[in-house]
Order: sequence, then C-alpha cells, then structure tokens
Amino acid sequence: MLKTYFKITLRNLWRNKLYSFINIAGLAMGIAAFILILQYVSFEKSVNGFHENIATTYRLLNEDPKGQTWPQVEPGWAQKAKDRFPEIQAYCRFEEGVGQGIVRRNAENAEPFRETNVGYAEGNFFEFFSFNVLEGSAAAFKKPNVVFLSTATAKKYFGKAEPVGQSLTLYNQFGKANYTVSGVYDIPVNSDIRYDMVFSLETLSNPANLNDNDWAQLDNLSSQYIHTYFRINETADYKKLEQKLTTLRNELKKDKDGLVFRLQPFANVHLPASFSDTYQTSGNLKYVYILSIIAILILAIAWFNYINLSTANALKRANEVGVRKVVGASRGSLVLQFLGESMLVNLISFGLALLIVRLLQPLFNTIIEKELTFTSLLSTPAWVAGLVLLIIGSLLSGAYTAYSLSGFNPVETLKGKLVKTTKAVVLRKSLVVFQFSISIGLLLATAFIYRQLNYMQNKNLGVNTDQLLVIRGPQVDKDSTYKMRRTAFINAIAQQSFVKDYSLSGSVPGNGYNFATSGFSQPGSRKGDELKSFSFALIDDRYLNTYQIGLAAGRTFTQAETMVDWNDNDKVLMNEKAIEELGFKSPEEALNTKVQWDERKLQVIGVVKNYHHIGLQKAIDPIIFYPQSNSAYFTVRLQTDRIQDNVAQLETMFKSYFRNNPFEYFFANDNFNKQYISEQQYSKLFTTASVWAIIIACLGLFGLATYTVEARTKEIGVRKVLGANVLTIARLLSKDFLQLVFIAFVIAVPVVWYAMYRWLENFAYKVQLSWWVFAAAGIVAIGIALLTISFQAIKAAIANPVKSLRTQ
Amino acid sequence: MLLELKNMFKWVTVGGNRIFLLKDINLQVQEGEFISIMGPSGSGKSTLLNVIGMLDGFDEGEYNFLHESVHKLKEKQRAQLYKQYIGFVFQQYHLIDELTVYENIETPLLYQDVKSSERKAMVADMLDRFNIVGKKDLFPSQLSGGQQQLVGIARALIAKPKLILADEPTGNLNSRQGEEIMELFTQLNKEGVTIIQVTHSEKNAAYAGRTIHLLDGRIEKHINN
Repeated sequence: MLKTYFKITLRNLWRNKLYSFINIAGLAMGIAAFILILQYVSFEKSVNGFHENIATTYRLLNEDPKGQTWPQVEPGWAQKAKDRFPEIQAYCRFEEGVGQGIVRRNAENAEPFRETNVGYAEGNFFEFFSFNVLEGSAAAFKKPNVVFLSTATAKKYFGKAEPVGQSLTLYNQFGKANYTVSGVYDIPVNSDIRYDMVFSLETLSNPANLNDNDWAQLDNLSSQYIHTYFRINETADYKKLEQKLTTLRNELKKDKDGLVFRLQPFANVHLPASFSDTYQTSGNLKYVYILSIIAILILAIAWFNYINLSTANALKRANEVGVRKVVGASRGSLVLQFLGESMLVNLISFGLALLIVRLLQPLFNTIIEKELTFTSLLSTPAWVAGLVLLIIGSLLSGAYTAYSLSGFNPVETLKGKLVKTTKAVVLRKSLVVFQFSISIGLLLATAFIYRQLNYMQNKNLGVNTDQLLVIRGPQVDKDSTYKMRRTAFINAIAQQSFVKDYSLSGSVPGNGYNFATSGFSQPGSRKGDELKSFSFALIDDRYLNTYQIGLAAGRTFTQAETMVDWNDNDKVLMNEKAIEELGFKSPEEALNTKVQWDERKLQVIGVVKNYHHIGLQKAIDPIIFYPQSNSAYFTVRLQTDRIQDNVAQLETMFKSYFRNNPFEYFFANDNFNKQYISEQQYSKLFTTASVWAIIIACLGLFGLATYTVEARTKEIGVRKVLGANVLTIARLLSKDFLQLVFIAFVIAVPVVWYAMYRWLENFAYKVQLSWWVFAAAGIVAIGIALLTISFQAIKAAIANPVKSLRTQ
Repeated sequence: MLLELKNMFKWVTVGGNRIFLLKDINLQVQEGEFISIMGPSGSGKSTLLNVIGMLDGFDEGEYNFLHESVHKLKEKQRAQLYKQYIGFVFQQYHLIDELTVYENIETPLLYQDVKSSERKAMVADMLDRFNIVGKKDLFPSQLSGGQQQLVGIARALIAKPKLILADEPTGNLNSRQGEEIMELFTQLNKEGVTIIQVTHSEKNAAYAGRTIHLLDGRIEKHINN
C-alpha cells in the first residue's frame, strides 16, 4: 500500500511538472531560509555555553541611577570582595582595549603589526574559563611578562616555528615591554571573550611597568577599565551578594558617584534572558527575534502555497478520489495517502533546501556578519525545536489538503461536477492575502530602512569628510628624536602638491571623543551646570580648516596655542550646543567669557558651528575643543584623482620617519559610515528577506493563476466566441487576484507604519514616514503581482476558443 | 433474492418545491439476473444505479440487500457492504491516470488488505482472462477506449463481487468495441455474476434478461427479453 502511494505521488509530481516545481521550489526556499536563520539563532544561543562553570559564574556590572549598565569596573574591587565574602570562590579580571598597541617579534627585520584585539588578563584566565590551551600550561600564565597566543596569531608571528619560548615586544600606552610566549590556545567561535593574544595582567602590578599610568593600578577603586567575573558557591544567592557588593562600594568609596553593582549571570552576557533584562549584552536579542519571526513567516508563505495549490489542484484529483472511494477506499486511507504525499513533497523540498543552504551560506554569512556553518545548527537543541516545527507545519499543511480532498462525494466528482465549496475559496483568498501582507510588509520595511540609511549617509554633516585620508599616528620608538621626526614628517606632507590641507588631532569624526567630563559652568556659575557632561576633542590649529568645519564666532587656535602644556592652557573652543548647555544666548555672548572647569578658568576664543562628530543616531553632543598638537591621527585632505599613488607616497614618507611602525590609514567618510553597520545589516537583511518572500509568494500566485485559467478555459472560450477581446479577458482573470493584493497592502500599511515609527525612534535625525513611499511600495507589489498573473491570463486570452470548447 | 427496493422515493428541494428524482420504485433482483435500465435523459437511471450501489442515499422507502436493511445501516457499514459485494463500471472508465493497468486492477484488493502474494495471483488471473497481460505496464492514456473499459471491468471483478453495476459501459465506445463488452457481460452473467446496466441502446439492452424503462423517476414498464 505504502509503495503504491509513493509511486502514485511521484507519478503525480512528474505529470504536473509546473505544479510540482512551484510547490517544491517554494517550500525549499522557505525551508532554506528557515534553516539558515535557525543556524544563526542556534549560534547566538550557544555563545559562551561551552564554559564548564557557566552556571556559577557572574559578571560584575556598574549601574548608574538611570539604569545604564556597563562591564568596565574598577580593578580593586575583585580582591576586596573575595576577602570579605566567603561565597566568592574565585575571580578573574581582564580588560579590552586598554592594552592595544603594536607588537613585533624580537628578531631581525620582523614586521610590526598593530594589534587591536589584545588585552591583559588575570593569571587564572585559562583555568577560570574553559579555553583550550594547546601548548604550554595554563599555570604558566600566572607570571608577569608572559603572553599566550591564539593559534592563528602564533602562525602570523612565527610561521611554522615553535612559538613557545619565543619573545615579543609590545608597544602601547604602558611603554615598551618584552613578553615571553608561554602558551598557545584555541578559542571556540562561539565565545564572547576572544583575544588574538593575551598578556599577563600580573605585569601591570609592577608600578615600573605602568609608564606613569597610575589610573591602571590593579588595586585602585576609581578608574573603570576592567572586566571582573566571579565564581560563587552553588548555594549562594547572587542577588544578595549583589547588595553586599554595593554596600561594600559605598563603604570604601570616598567620592560618592551614585553607582551600584550588579551581577549578571554569565549565561546572560551574550543574550539577555528576556527583553525586560536591560543589562549590557554582547549579542542582540531583538535581532534574534526579528530573524526568527521572518523565518517563520517565510516558511508560512511556502506552506500556504502548498495548501492553495493542492486544493486548487483538487479539480484534477477529484476524479481519483471518487474512483478510489468507489473501489473501496475509506476516508482514512485517503487522508493517509494525501498526508503521505505532502510529507514526501516536504521531504524532497527539505533535501533541496539543504542544497540551497550550502549555496547561500556565504551570502547569508556576509549579511549577518558571522562565520556560520551547518554545524552551528547542531550546537544547541534549537534544531530539535526547528525540526519539530518543520514536521508539524508540513503535517498541518498536508492535513488540511488531505481533509478537504478526501471529503469529496464520489457520485458528484465522477459525474465531473467539481464541488466548489465557498469555504475553500475563502480560505484560499485569505491565505493569498496573508502571503502578500507579509511580502508587502517586508518590502515597505526595506524601503524605510534603506531611506533612513541613505539619509544618514548623505546628510550634510557640517563637516566635509570627502577625500580625507587619516593616518594613525606612530606609537613605537617615541624617543628623544620623536618630536623632531614628527615635525619633519609634517613638513614633508605640507610640501606635497596633492595635499590641500592637513591636521593633527586626538579625535576624528566617527571615532568618538578623547573623553567626556563634567564640572563646567559659566563665570556666574549656574547651579546644576557642573553636573552636565561635555565631550572633549583634542585638535590643532588646522583641524577646523582641514575638516571644513565652520565657526559661528571668534577664531580657531594659533599654532603657538597648540604647543602650550595641558595644565597651562587657558583657551578653548566650544560648539554651539556646548554654549547653549551653559546657558549662553548667542555665540557672541559666549565669546571671550571665561568658563569655569572645576578650579580652572578657560577663555572661549571661538564658537564652532554644530557638526556631527558621531553618527546620526545620536543628537549632537556639547563639545569642548582643547588645543593640543596630538599625533593620534594625521589627517590629509587630498586634491587628486590618483589616490593609490598618493597613499603609496605617504607610506614611504611615514616609514622613513617612523621605522618599526605600521602604516595604517582610512578614509574619513568610510570611517564615519562604519557607524551605520547595524543599519546596513538591517537593510541587507530586510532586502534579502523581502525578495525571498516575494519570490515564494509570486510562485504561488503564478500557480494559482495557472489553475484558475485552466478551470475557466470553457468560460473564456464562450466569452471569446461571444466577442470578448484579449484585454477584457486578461482583465477579468487578473481582477480577482489584484483585489487580494490590494487588501494585503491595506493590511500591511498600518502594521509597518507602527513598526517603523518605533524603529525610527532610535535616531535623533530621521526620515519622515512619507505617504508616497507606501504608495510606491504598493504600486511595486501590485505591479509584480500583475506581471505574475498576466502571463497566464494573456496566454488564456489569446488561445483559440474552438480548441477549448471542443475538449470540454 | 439479491436485493429488493420497496416504495422508494428520492427528491431534492428547490425553491421550496420537491422535485422527485425517484418516485415509488419497487424492484426485486434475483441472484444471477442481467437487467438493463433504459429511459430518456434525466429519467433517473444513473440515480437509481447509484442508490442501488449505495453511493447515494434515498429519502423514503426500504432497500434490502442480501437480507440486510440498507436504509437502517450506518455509513460505514454500508460502505463495508458495497465494497464486499458490488463492482462498478463507468462510461468514462474512471481509471486512475497515474496507475498502470496492473496497478489499477490491483487497487480494490489493496483496500481489502489482501496479501501481496494472493494479490499477484488474482491480478495475473484477471489479466490472463481479459487477454491484456501484454498491456499490464501501460498507463490508461496509452490504451484505446475499449481496452480501457476492459481494464475497468477487470477492476470491478477483481474483488469477486456478486453484483456489477454498469453506467452506460459502452457509451464512449464504437459499436464493435461495444459488442465485445456486451458479450463479456453475457459470459460473466453465465458464470453467475448479477449485472445491472444503464444503457441508451436498444441493441445492448437486449443482451439482458429483462429491461426496466424509467420515465420521470418512475418505473414505466418491465419488459422480459
């Protein structure tokens, strides 16, 4: 029996090739999207899960009165807490970003590399966390001046040579130091903590290694730069410990800052337990949810195709059902047969989907910016849930078909009367409406995301970032000759004909500020002003010119002013937003006043027009520009078409003055646009999802149109004989479908409007939800649907009526 | 007696009015009979055949089949009854297009859970008897109308029914093919199978032992041939 069902299914599929293609292709596309997204969800859920003691490990967070949390805490707390609270078994500290610098192998002609993904970590790092130490022993990391490398980094520096026992030099803000390579480790891709190389934090416990950076002292309770993880007793209540830690903080900290401690379960460090959990995480739960919803919607569209096409196909199957009933089939056996059919179709689609997944994996990986493989899917039990969902969905879509097909009355179907149940027609129409609501919704969302992205990338920033090349300043060999070499380099730049302008600064647009601080007030001191936060940018006398930023009043710094020592300087520039914050009514009013910065008095010599120093997600910050000839960045405005050549020239010059330093540069506009990576990701994701959904929905629509035309062949023949022309008939056939697409549009609009309204709230500067975008998307959707249908409609309309009438 | 219809009525209600499809039908059929039903279009021939075949119900009267009161049976029991005792033959053959000749004939056995080895023997027997062994792997679309109808009859016979109901079995065939089918029916009837056929052709009707003439849902006359 099963064999016969199997045979008949395959023969049916083969006979109705178009129908089978539409069903299988649609389902395969739906399932492929589902698998890809499930991979991502699975991966996100698996992050950090490999740590053996994850359940008893907690991350220490600072929380401010507004509820903002961050993981950079003061380094001194860990030991103090462990001494005081016996439930803390162990702690591990590490930092991210502070240690970055330039690393060079200690060998002749070894190439220096800038390493940004490096840091200092506690001696027990490789014991506290479950990282795999491949060479050397985890215990070796407890010593000072020791470095462990990832396998890839070991290869980068030492090639095939044995890395353990070799030595490296690290140049960073803590000066120049030698490190012995004592271990090589492997970190799984699904780890949040991932270093290319990790230096022993123990090194910094020696004040001689701090290079006067007293803020980094490991027992200090004032500078927040280190991540702290605690392992606590299984029986301990971490919420109680959290309170005790805050009490400890208030007891030991002299200057009260209003912060409290929070403990975040390690399991929630990547993805929060729920949306109500607002602690800082490294993953994005919203993204996981949006993707999951898209996956299920696309899958639903594919299943609805299956339901629609199989019930529409009933015309052809009705006879078989009738015959089978007459020769003795019970309804149960027919249901079984059709269910089996749908399972087989789903199974074939599943196989094809695996193939599609393989083909599209690289594309998908670029969209979500992850290195996923098929094995990511199996890393958590999420795949079981996915499989269950797939089985349930294919059973349900098959069950409906089976139920409606097996219900035919044999007497009527054998007479050739097709039972047209209005219920089935209403269902089919609703499913089409649903499919197109989703497709149009995705299309609309794509349009608005794209517009917002476009707006942010093209808005006048108040600063001209075109043709600006930014070179990262040197960090190695800052010896006694450094100042001289730097001046020589700048002079060499100035003499190039392709250089229109140049500047030295500590901060450039798109890369944040040098720091933020409070304590400012007007000379008359208004109460409360000293609490407001101002951002600091360190700039030279040429910065405003080079970046083409305007002045609202006054002047910029002179070269002499940028040479004055930090503490002796008494002149600043402020942007319009900053003087507004301080209560000045106009730039002129602020000009030449002396503002208070704690004990110091600073004269406002100029007011800078507001410009966007960081992305358009945030409103313009109040900025204080402080004069300093800072060489963190050299900015060069090029006046040329031969960018490649000029970059090469600049590199030669840079290398000749700053040997042992890597030449690193970026373009200011690219760099600025990097802030929109998340929006670009959303844009790519929604574009792909909407194209995918529309293709599947249109496949279904095409199939339905084909069947409708088949079912109405006789009617069309009669109408033509009676004198209808091609256009009337094409219109007659298309009208019903277009109505459905229009209804879908009407449903999609308010939902998208609300969703986009909420999304745009994330941006200080945003596009309008213009009516014409909705209209345009609607026209596009209806146009695509019309194209899909009209092929069949026109084919039917131009067919010779004699043929169709004879065959009836 | 194989079956008996007593004072049977069947109607549909259209716009508040009853339109009778079958009106006061009284009919007794003995085992081994061969009966033709004739009458103009719309006189109720097919309806009567469907009611006898239990594919369709009726509104009033009695129907006894092998001493079972069909009108008192439940849907499932009725299905059980006709599956066991009745075979159907159609004007349009109604073979399953996706199945081969062999598989079409085999289908009823599948639904009666006959063992595979037994099925093979029975189908082989039937193919042999109808001289279509060479066509067993062909699909219906590859056969002529007469051949398709042969397969249809083979399928109706495979489960060894007591009664064959044939609705214009020769309606789509040319006269020579029609004659062959009629001769086959006569042969089957001689072997003891009861046959009731609906036909438009006087000539084909004459193969039967008696003919029932229907008009507007009533039995107009019985004629013994």
